[in-house]
Amino acid sequence: MSFLGLFILAFIQTRYSVPVTFQNLFFRFDPLIFIVVSIAYRTVLSASLLSISIIAATLVFGRFFCGFVCPLGTTIDVFGIFSGKDAGRKTKLKHWKYMILMFLVVGAILGVSFLHLLEPLVIFERSLTLFLHPVVAYVSGLFGLGAARVYTESMIALLVFALILGLDFISRRFWCRNLCPLGGLLASISTLAPFKIVFGEGCTQCGICEKICPTAAITVDSTSVDTGECVDCLRCINECPQKVFTYGLLPAPSRVDLNRRQLIGAVGTSIIVAPLARTLLHRRLLGTLIRPPGSIPEPDFLNTCIHCGKCMKVCPTNGLQPCILEAGVNGLWTPRLVSRIGGCEKNCNMCGQVCPTSAIRNLTPEEKTYAKIGTAVIDRARCIAWEQDRVCLICDEACPYNAISSLNETIRGTTLLRPFVNERICTGCGLCEARCPIEGRAAIEVFSIGEERKRRGSYITEEKIRLRALEEKEEDLPAGFIIDN
Amino acid sequence: MDGITRREFIKIGAGAAIFSLLPKSLLAKEENAGPMIGVAEGDNSKLVRAAVDLVGGIDRFVKSGDTVCIKPNISFASNIDCGATTNAAIVRQMVQLCLDANASRVIVMDHTIHDATLCVERSRIEEAIIDKKVNLVTLQQERQYAETEVPGGKELTTIGVAKAIQNADVLINMPVAKSHSATGVSFGLKGLMGLIWDRGYLHRVNLDRAIAELATVIKPDLTVVDATKALTTGGPGGPGKTVILNKVVAGIDPVAVDSYTVRIAQWYKKSWSGNQVKHIRAAAELGLGEIDTGKMRIKEVRV
Repeated sequence: MSFLGLFILAFIQTRYSVPVTFQNLFFRFDPLIFIVVSIAYRTVLSASLLSISIIAATLVFGRFFCGFVCPLGTTIDVFGIFSGKDAGRKTKLKHWKYMILMFLVVGAILGVSFLHLLEPLVIFERSLTLFLHPVVAYVSGLFGLGAARVYTESMIALLVFALILGLDFISRRFWCRNLCPLGGLLASISTLAPFKIVFGEGCTQCGICEKICPTAAITVDSTSVDTGECVDCLRCINECPQKVFTYGLLPAPSRVDLNRRQLIGAVGTSIIVAPLARTLLHRRLLGTLIRPPGSIPEPDFLNTCIHCGKCMKVCPTNGLQPCILEAGVNGLWTPRLVSRIGGCEKNCNMCGQVCPTSAIRNLTPEEKTYAKIGTAVIDRARCIAWEQDRVCLICDEACPYNAISSLNETIRGTTLLRPFVNERICTGCGLCEARCPIEGRAAIEVFSIGEERKRRGSYITEEKIRLRALEEKEEDLPAGFIIDN
Repeated sequence: MDGITRREFIKIGAGAAIFSLLPKSLLAKEENAGPMIGVAEGDNSKLVRAAVDLVGGIDRFVKSGDTVCIKPNISFASNIDCGATTNAAIVRQMVQLCLDANASRVIVMDHTIHDATLCVERSRIEEAIIDKKVNLVTLQQERQYAETEVPGGKELTTIGVAKAIQNADVLINMPVAKSHSATGVSFGLKGLMGLIWDRGYLHRVNLDRAIAELATVIKPDLTVVDATKALTTGGPGGPGKTVILNKVVAGIDPVAVDSYTVRIAQWYKKSWSGNQVKHIRAAAELGLGEIDTGKMRIKEVRV
């Protein structure tokens, strides 16, 4: 429970103006993220090296992570009170989690990460971000507290979460026992663990332990505990009337429950599905996909981003939104800047700070302003300064980089200031698009023209500094003056 | 905002009724002699009291028990050195004056253009929230506004105006002196756009005229311009050129204050008069105040 509290605290503290210290640590301690991302990205994910400590601890003490640390596991446990199922009810699907683990690993070897669909911490974090936070914000908004929070995709995230909890109606911790790939990974490691629950002498076959074991790891008939399934919750030790259980040293490795046919099935699924993950990923369809500043090049980004949603949670303008199909089918829930909702604030680098896998690089606030994510384009047919001779220029007003100039332009006899974009200075932050006062689509929109995506190296160049320092932007006098005599 | 009890409501209502009787006689005298403008220059920590004293002192505007709304410009998430937002130290002095005059509540508020959290942080406006009686309110939600008729309006027929000012006894407008890419300059009159819901609408009609019409509906009791620093190009959001003026301009007549402030600096490297700024001129033409600086009683003081 305390780790669930810590996880939620980390979630709440993932917000603008709170420096990032512990907020992404859960993810960096997650060995499944470390393994899958490192394979898919073909680089050892240094931010996640911490997770080796979890592997080492599991190698000694077993699957304690699932019983004590995992916030999704704790939530499922709490929810189990409502499902009312006997904890000990057995299912015959526990090999699935190893198949799912193999599916992920083989996918990663083939260069596609399916982590976001199946990783428990990611699923939990994203659930908090995409539907719990908007709900809390809405309710507190009714009392006049806090700002609204809206996402373009919340329902799929809600359904996934509801489905995982709902599986508890089949058996307790159905997800953890049968499906969770992190559980599968830790289970296969824990088979080697020397410390485990030991089934001692004096059992009267009363069956209480079988009933209460949340992962059905105990078989009374054979007085055995399946180390791979046991999550070290210690309930059996506490509940057994004969006190036959002890936690102690028993250096006898058990085996992973996966036969060759199942292994081939998992590998085969991966080989078929992985190439399909590129559906809708044509380069020319990506013109409106604006990634956060500092995002690494797109193929690497898709393999490194775990779609956890922390960047969206922390974005102060609510502009970072989950993709649905904009980044291809496998880009579901990856972040994109929807400038019409909110632009990228000039002095903010929170998304890069908070990203647990450095799919968004942690740039300094200054360097971030040089990481070009796109270019604003004016649609003159929609712009009221161009088409309807209005004194508007809100885009000029909104631009913090002086990339929009208002210049006198005569159209059919009317001379008026009209906006122009200097594409060499524009960073694509989209603050103009957010503020454009016309209804519906903005008359100034950001496209991924000229976006810079780098795995490493600085975004700051002398040329950019020179362009920005140009003493003053080209500007005609505002239309609000009467220039007479 | 907190709700108010019936007793408070009656008190405020009675206070407002009495108050509304008082200044009429005072104003009547003034109209004959032209509006007063108080200009204080010098030590930034004393400017507000000095300028307000020149136009009659705070007791003339704030009575004991009053609810006061102070409207600074904190609309942009620009750093304070940029000059796009009202200096929080200047706002704090005004808050202190209101508390000294025994105001029961002081509400500091603005409808920010950029994200409210960022605007509050960058403008450091929380430095002005110095007492339990003082609240900071950002007007980002539609339910904070009441649809209000604009009598005789050509550009505006109705507009959503912040309920807070309709419930308050006193409204003090505290703009910062800055240039504006559309309206030329942005002082008190332009700053009224921070008290309405749909500011984008004004850009879709004749902006200058619409600002003047807005000023027929929202009438501050006092305008105090923060001219400690003026953003003379690149406004309203900056970055641009700033000049240090170390001045505060105070006055009751919103047109006179703006017209006077036009002259205190060069905007876009040129000298202008109030008559050359369309929205100020439009407000004068609607009879909202005096635009001719020659007809104002300008009092200056160095502190």
